[in-house]
Amino acid sequence: MSVLMKKNIIQTIIILTAVLVIDIIAALDLIKMHHPDKLYPSDGLSEIQYLSNYNSRLKGGNGDTEIYVFDSGKPGASILLLGGTHPNEPASFLTAALVLENIQVSTGRIFVIPRACNSGFTCTDPFEGCPEYYHIQSKYGERRFRFGSRVSNPLDQWPDPLVYSHFPSGQKLSGFETRNLNRAYPGRENGSFTEKVAYAIMELLKKEKITLAFDLHEAAPEIPIINAIVYHEKCEELALMAVMNLEMKGLNYAPELSPINFHGLSHREWGDYTDAYPFLMETSNPIQGRLRGKTNEDLIRYGKSIQYQQAQETGALRIVYKADTGEPLERRVGRHLQGFKEIISVYNETADTGQMFEFSGLPEYDEIMTNGLKEYFQ
Amino acid sequence: MRKKLMKTALVVISLTIFATTVLLAEPLFQAPVLISSAGQSADVKLVGMLAKRAQIENIVELIATEKNLDGIKTLIVVPGFSSKGLGAAGVSAADEINRVKALLAAANEQNIPVVLVHIGGNARRYGQSDQFIEEVAQYAKAMIVVEQGNEDQLFTKIASEKNIPLTLVPKIVAAGEPLKNFFK
Repeated sequence: MSVLMKKNIIQTIIILTAVLVIDIIAALDLIKMHHPDKLYPSDGLSEIQYLSNYNSRLKGGNGDTEIYVFDSGKPGASILLLGGTHPNEPASFLTAALVLENIQVSTGRIFVIPRACNSGFTCTDPFEGCPEYYHIQSKYGERRFRFGSRVSNPLDQWPDPLVYSHFPSGQKLSGFETRNLNRAYPGRENGSFTEKVAYAIMELLKKEKITLAFDLHEAAPEIPIINAIVYHEKCEELALMAVMNLEMKGLNYAPELSPINFHGLSHREWGDYTDAYPFLMETSNPIQGRLRGKTNEDLIRYGKSIQYQQAQETGALRIVYKADTGEPLERRVGRHLQGFKEIISVYNETADTGQMFEFSGLPEYDEIMTNGLKEYFQ
Repeated sequence: MRKKLMKTALVVISLTIFATTVLLAEPLFQAPVLISSAGQSADVKLVGMLAKRAQIENIVELIATEKNLDGIKTLIVVPGFSSKGLGAAGVSAADEINRVKALLAAANEQNIPVVLVHIGGNARRYGQSDQFIEEVAQYAKAMIVVEQGNEDQLFTKIASEKNIPLTLVPKIVAAGEPLKNFFK
């Protein structure tokens, strides 16, 4: 063997070894993201179910997410609270997590799904440079939560079609949307991975006779539908009363009617196919925005970005953005929680006895802004 | 005694004249009212609720056209752009602007006064929302605006240029009282 050949072989071995080491590190990192974040339900918890209870085809897979059930045992309304439909919208998951770690139900029952798109929590979106985790302080130390992708992990559903044709409307969207849970309703029992998850949630709504159903979201500060409550036309009066009451408490929400001809979304399909009154709520999340600066954990936590301050000054934003306060998680979680509580409060005003949902243990927006999230996480 | 009697009579007569004047005073606007949107935001529904609470006879019609003006004495238009609202109505922004222009022109031809009510605050300002505001403002005889929507004094400027009354309110719910007073 010539000297040159020996040199080439050695170089090849070195390069292959380096690649192998990098691959192993990346693989271990990817595997870590499959471990769900630990949650500590309040002592009001009745049981933990799984989504496969409503679609057996999900059993044991990444779509088989946990459902935390709090049943007072006293007849009343049944509520569904969905967090984590889009795992890159952290206030959505965190609000659901706060609810399940604090709620005490005295009338009726609630089903809390903190990780509706469980698959999306196992990866991040490519080319976005987002961190995999963020941390918050809790009563007993630091807690770490995954920051995921907007859509199901491609390891669970691949390949994407060129064009996504929604079932059953036939509506055409970009192929990427085939993995978006909030474009998949009503879903199909034996459809794609994401459609199966959507189908299971629809079955839950029907079988458990859900009265009020909440789907929590976030969006970039520059898009039109922000700090909003999107409602189905059948619960318009309830939504508008809640908007007015929230305004009295100093919180502005834009009421938005669900478009009849935009299919696949929770606020449309839950309302069309079940008896539930659906509400989708949006808060403002700078890390999702196209105008953002450095993409890091601080942006998730505090939502501070000089670029958004500049955007504010040019009138590009739909929210009032202040560089010194940013859009912290406390504000976003607080808004979701207050919206959730207010809609239930308005509903209870006209509900018959035996049809109400009564609870305690959840803080007010002002309390979260004063105390921080630490007080409400174990 | 006589002087005292005369003074009392004078006071009673003055009060009677004053009260009669107030009671018989013409309201600024008359019902029935047509309430429509300019931009298809859901704010129009909130205004409908406020009008209902104020016991003002009204019809809420999101996509009102000239034919909806039959029998109407006042047109309330609620400007505010919503892409979801346009989607729900199945119209484009261009269609909506044309509809609003035609509606306002028809109201003007029939001498139906227009009231602009803007309750969407910052969320319904700038960009396409302002285009709708400016269209409606051309015909408005009065405006009720939630303060947050007037931070740049747009409505103050319009009121000053057109010499029309502007009522600023701190919150949506507070818009009910001036609305009621317009029809008293």
